[in-house]
Amino acid sequence: MPARFDPFREAHTNPVISVRNLTKRYGEVLAVQDVTFDVAEGEVMGFLGPNGAGKSTTIRILTGYLPATAGTVQVAGLDVLSDSLAIRQKLGYLPENVPLYPELRVEEYLRYRGRLKGLTARNVKAGVERVMDQCGLMHVRQRIVGQLSKGYRQRVGLADSMVAQPRLLILDEPTGGLDPHQRKEVLDLIRGLAHDHTVLLSSHILAEIESISTRVMIIQKGRLLANGRMDELAERLQDAPAVAVEVKARRDVLLQALAPILRQCGEACDVADLADGWVRATLRPPVGSDQREAIAAALRGANLPMRELHRHQRTLEELFLHITAQAAQRTGEELAAAQAAAHAAAPSAGAAEGAR
Amino acid sequence: MRMLRQLSILLAREVESLYLTPIHYIVLTVALVFNGVSFYFALQLSQGNVEETVRLFFGESPLVWLVLVLVPPLLTMRQFAEERRSGTLEMLLTAPVSEIEVVLAKFLAGLAFYLSIWVPSLLYLAIAKSYGAIPDIGPLATSYLGIMLLGALFTAAGLFASSLTQTQILAALLATVFNLLILLVPFLSAFTGIETIERFFVEMSIARHFGDSFSKGLIDVGHVSFYVVLSGVFLFWTVRSLESQRWR
Repeated sequence: MPARFDPFREAHTNPVISVRNLTKRYGEVLAVQDVTFDVAEGEVMGFLGPNGAGKSTTIRILTGYLPATAGTVQVAGLDVLSDSLAIRQKLGYLPENVPLYPELRVEEYLRYRGRLKGLTARNVKAGVERVMDQCGLMHVRQRIVGQLSKGYRQRVGLADSMVAQPRLLILDEPTGGLDPHQRKEVLDLIRGLAHDHTVLLSSHILAEIESISTRVMIIQKGRLLANGRMDELAERLQDAPAVAVEVKARRDVLLQALAPILRQCGEACDVADLADGWVRATLRPPVGSDQREAIAAALRGANLPMRELHRHQRTLEELFLHITAQAAQRTGEELAAAQAAAHAAAPSAGAAEGAR
Repeated sequence: MRMLRQLSILLAREVESLYLTPIHYIVLTVALVFNGVSFYFALQLSQGNVEETVRLFFGESPLVWLVLVLVPPLLTMRQFAEERRSGTLEMLLTAPVSEIEVVLAKFLAGLAFYLSIWVPSLLYLAIAKSYGAIPDIGPLATSYLGIMLLGALFTAAGLFASSLTQTQILAALLATVFNLLILLVPFLSAFTGIETIERFFVEMSIARHFGDSFSKGLIDVGHVSFYVVLSGVFLFWTVRSLESQRWR
């Protein structure tokens, strides 16, 4: 038998997933608009967005379950429309709500799925043992799926997606509905898979994506608003850190003392009254200028007692909330512009385009 | 080869699923009781004449027709509706299987379960024999062929109904309506008074298929192909219905 073409073997140079101008319309509703991205071999791509942003729709198109309205989607170099069966053979997919047959036992279910995904009768036993071991299902192997807790059902779904040893895993909210303990277990499991799998996982919780992804995409209202490494995104999207100072003074006195600095900050200054005559002023200096020293000097000069001075960098969680909240208020045109910027900034999409 | 392999895996799963569903045992039991009662009366009326018994049993017993019309919808109602409702259809259709394989597996499993309802009726023949009558194998064999063909048609119709909704009861009702239409339209067509329409539908009349050929030991190619073609049409529509739900 001649050696079969294995698209994943050939894929190091080409992206494993390549999406170009993907649009999906449900009747009048545009669920996904003009989205372009790549996932390279070995990457763990986090797909982030609030509920209803278009994550599941995009994922269902990648797995061949839904057809795109426009645009092209290639997985391992094969088109999802024309080579759907070949692609489905090569990828492991965990749908959002982990639908399983409730009447089967864990082991029976995995065996059936393994057979369906092309494992031979001989290989399926070993394959099922392997994934049950990996996913911590050994002690529930004889339990009926319908009687398992949510956490175990999630693990069964994950085991299902891995049973035929696909090189690409697409996991739609793999931690949805889990308690923090189970969530950590599932994330550890995925992290363990990352070294020899390409993984695309979606979530609406940034912290968990942050901990395991090499790259992140943020989608909102069907538009891709950011695509890049976590630190790059933080750098690019981060606006200037705020500086907060707590001083014992009357408002007008404080504002007067800070007047020269406030001029540089575009007068953006919130003052809040605290107890015992203390006030808290929050300034937003322009990017690249750290005004803490100047503020301290000005307060010393005016002889005002100060008990706190600090610079506040947004956490990634706040950043994500900021981006998506901003997007929620923006019009379609503004979103399209933001998406264009994200596409332009996406490293591998650009590189793949250049290679062509 | 690949298709046969996938089909056998899916079929095993579907048969298992049919036998793991409690309601199917209720259906099975009621069907057996109905058949038993029908056979008892057919045997009484025909006074031990086996050929007459078979004709009465398959052709004229209202209870047997109730089983014929109602059992397939009850067996097929879950098949797609439940998979859609619970989301397992997504799991199934993102595995490397085609819609045709899925539909065929569900069809064959449903048909097999339906046929298993008729297996105990073979026992009746042994009873008939104990009355001293020697069963004539011809009409018996064709009667069972008719039962099988009708079962195939109603199972295909039921699958199509199940593929249209995610509510099992609705699927069963819809399938029953399909079955009743298939049965009754030939009778209703007599009221149109248009000769061509009547002649056309007389050929489609299932009651006539059973009365004229199946219960008499005749195999009419026209009659047989009616069931095969119409079952094929319903299965094709089922595949299309599955595909179109993705395209919507």
